[in-house]
Amino acid sequence: MLSQDLIKAALEKALSTGADYAEVFAEHTDSKTISMVSSKVDKIEDAVISGVGIRIFKGLRCVSGSTSSLLPEAVLACAEKVAGVLNDTPVISNVNLTERLFGDVHPIKVVPVSVANSTKIDYLREAYNAAKEYNEGISQVTGSFLDVDHKILIANSDGLLAQDRQIRSRIRIQAVASKAGENQTGSCSPGGRVGMELFDLHNPKEVGIEAAREAMVMINAGYINAGNMPVAIENGFGGVIFHEACGHSLEASSVAYGNSQFAGKLGTQIASAKVTAIDDGTIPNAWGSINIDDEGTPARRNVLIENGVLKSYMIDKFNGRRMGMESTGNSRRQSYAFAPTSRMTNTYIAAGNDSDEDIISSIEYGLYAAKMGGGSVNPVTGQFNFAVSEGYVVRNGKICEPVRGASLIGKGSDILMNIDMVGKNLRHGQGMCGASSGSIPTNVGQPLIRVSSITVGGR
Amino acid sequence: MNYQEFKNAVLAAAKENNLKDYELYYTESSGTSVEAYQSEINTFTSESSLGVCFKCIVNGKTGYASTENLTHEDALSLVKRSMENALSIESDEPSFIHKAGDNYLSYEAPEGSEPGSSELADFTLRLQSEVYKADSRVVDGTMSASGYDSSKYALCNSNGLDLEDTSSFSYSYAIALVSDGENKYDGEGIASGKLDDFDAAKIAAEAVDDAVSTIGYTSVPSGKYTVVFSSKVMAALLATYSSAFCADTAQKGLSLLAGKENTKVAADILTLTDDPLYKDALVKRTFDAEGAATYPKNVIEKGELTTLLYNLATAAKAGVKTTGNAAKASYASPVSIHPYSFYINPVKGSLDDLLGAAGEGIYVTSVEGLHAGANAITGDFSLSSGGFKIENGKKGKPVKGFTISGNFFSLLKDISLIGEDLKFNPFALGASRCGSPSILVEGITIAGK
Repeated sequence: MLSQDLIKAALEKALSTGADYAEVFAEHTDSKTISMVSSKVDKIEDAVISGVGIRIFKGLRCVSGSTSSLLPEAVLACAEKVAGVLNDTPVISNVNLTERLFGDVHPIKVVPVSVANSTKIDYLREAYNAAKEYNEGISQVTGSFLDVDHKILIANSDGLLAQDRQIRSRIRIQAVASKAGENQTGSCSPGGRVGMELFDLHNPKEVGIEAAREAMVMINAGYINAGNMPVAIENGFGGVIFHEACGHSLEASSVAYGNSQFAGKLGTQIASAKVTAIDDGTIPNAWGSINIDDEGTPARRNVLIENGVLKSYMIDKFNGRRMGMESTGNSRRQSYAFAPTSRMTNTYIAAGNDSDEDIISSIEYGLYAAKMGGGSVNPVTGQFNFAVSEGYVVRNGKICEPVRGASLIGKGSDILMNIDMVGKNLRHGQGMCGASSGSIPTNVGQPLIRVSSITVGGR
Repeated sequence: MNYQEFKNAVLAAAKENNLKDYELYYTESSGTSVEAYQSEINTFTSESSLGVCFKCIVNGKTGYASTENLTHEDALSLVKRSMENALSIESDEPSFIHKAGDNYLSYEAPEGSEPGSSELADFTLRLQSEVYKADSRVVDGTMSASGYDSSKYALCNSNGLDLEDTSSFSYSYAIALVSDGENKYDGEGIASGKLDDFDAAKIAAEAVDDAVSTIGYTSVPSGKYTVVFSSKVMAALLATYSSAFCADTAQKGLSLLAGKENTKVAADILTLTDDPLYKDALVKRTFDAEGAATYPKNVIEKGELTTLLYNLATAAKAGVKTTGNAAKASYASPVSIHPYSFYINPVKGSLDDLLGAAGEGIYVTSVEGLHAGANAITGDFSLSSGGFKIENGKKGKPVKGFTISGNFFSLLKDISLIGEDLKFNPFALGASRCGSPSILVEGITIAGK
């Protein structure tokens, strides 16, 4: 992408006005999304994203710049612009780069960028048709197949020079069921840090059927009565609740500035003793995995909460300075155009000891959230909200009729304390997480859990 | 190479491949921003980016490809990739390269020059100190930021169209953090336009009031309430459901407004307008993402749906003219449809008048999680909300931690009163943004304690 001489020159230029650290991030990404609607391929987005981001630190200050050009004069101009913000005597004048290979634990069997559109379309159509043909009540299906080939290079004034190639694939099917002027939707969108072998892991037919099944369940569902009740949240994407209610508040970008409900709480009990939560960027071929983060730190498995006690935050280099703590390999950015910050990778609640049967039968009246939609949180107040995309009423320990329109709201610190049963069967789900450094792929995960009481919005 | 050289290389490659119908879409943007923490500027960011998207028609199908890398090699690959992609398209949707001859509106570009980074930094530090001064409960974690963005958007095609719009503006905002000793609360204030016009004390007061006003909030008992939605909340709901007004969504069977043109879809007092050149918009558009002329129009007039928003293909399918609403989520995206300044027209009465008319109820001033808790296809929403009690026709104590739920399309019909206080979402700084006055609706379901 960039010659070693150019990188060295850019780093030295960036350091010329007194910075104590400089970093160059270069990227070349090929990304393709093939979309299908009304049983036909209707759009293909085919993009090349390329550019350079340069950052310098001086103490607790950070200056960053980016340009979409990889040309030497543009890269040096960007370094000069960044340096121009400081006005001190240089403390580092010479950078000696040592190239490092951190290895790749995510083997790719078939690289999607070298596969013809027609092959991708065949898989997409198989999933699409399975959804369309599931039931006459399915009025529309939309589908897409996305593949991203993200090549990154990171060099810094500590002498690091590292590269990584992150390949991801994902299929999404959304089915719409219609009845009496009403619509309901169902979706299924598995993905991974994998190539075309995604379809060995996820049979396209089953993806389509799952989306259609959910839409059909929901079109025949009534509404839940609002109120406070115990809720059992299913594994897989159900883990979004930890991601939102707690994960964001453990990111250094909010902890470093004291505006997280969990700032200053290391070593204290912040969750019920049933809860052990982990952020693990090293899971082979997982959607949120990375070999190195976007500052060049190798990915790690970080235990965030162990038996309810807060053990670690997720930290990047810049915010780590303010906290006096080392990076945990969690610095991420959507692209060169976003300055990186601390983000999640694959975040999950670890398996516990309760059986799924015991969890459901413990609920006299409550909600079983079989599938969760997205959610959001305000890290300052800890207030979160989630949509339940497929929910059922639980009565006398039995899962009964489906209900639509349910949402879960509350405060992160309360819900963590209220997780009183944790199942054994851990699964992950895929999501795109948005924050100041852009939209990045993350996994969420958990086994079936029970929250003793939570506010359920309905009508 | 620069854009002009790249453009020439792409057009030459298009000719070489015997393409008759093609278009080159170009965006360029640059920006500078600074952020303050405590009493120091702690981050400074500058960015400059460009992107090019080539579109061609092969055998009646449209293919796209884009790049940010302006090299000769990329120019050739851009044309090749878009042609390959066109061959994979199966949709019968008609393909168009827009013809010249539209009557394009014009607007006066705002005066003012680009603020230097030291001006941005000075203002931000002043704003930060105003926030701390505004209330003794303001704590660290409070941040202020300012920035300047400029962008260019250009389109040329094989029919001889060669169009360009530019925009530039500054913005400055504060996120105030206050603590009552036990809990923390946040609030925001923003100004946009010309830096010289910004009033630091006013932005600070807005952010601090927003945070302080929620101190000591309680929940509300579940039930049905008369609700006054603040202009901010109603604008946010409208933005979430704006895709339902777009013909591409409707023609795919993903909008409950499909086929509802010339029928009642809202209360009689509601008129909804889409205006590409609305007077105070920071980014105005004289042509859309296909090169068609833009113009203002009513989408709902006195409760009746008058038109959906169209681009060339959806208009051809419906047998109407494009409304000039073709848009791209980014330069790399295929064409879709977006509104511009999209707003519910003001009717009558201040916010106080609406609260008075409500008598008892809830004044909802914030909703969270719209991307998850609101579904544009079904119209259903169930949203974590905050606001104030309405007691004896006046704004009362703060309330939070409850959900409001319902269906947006039913809500449009159930609106009883629309105020005169039209405001746009101040944080929507692009060409597409929504606005509304305060509105009053009866019988909204609330789940609280």
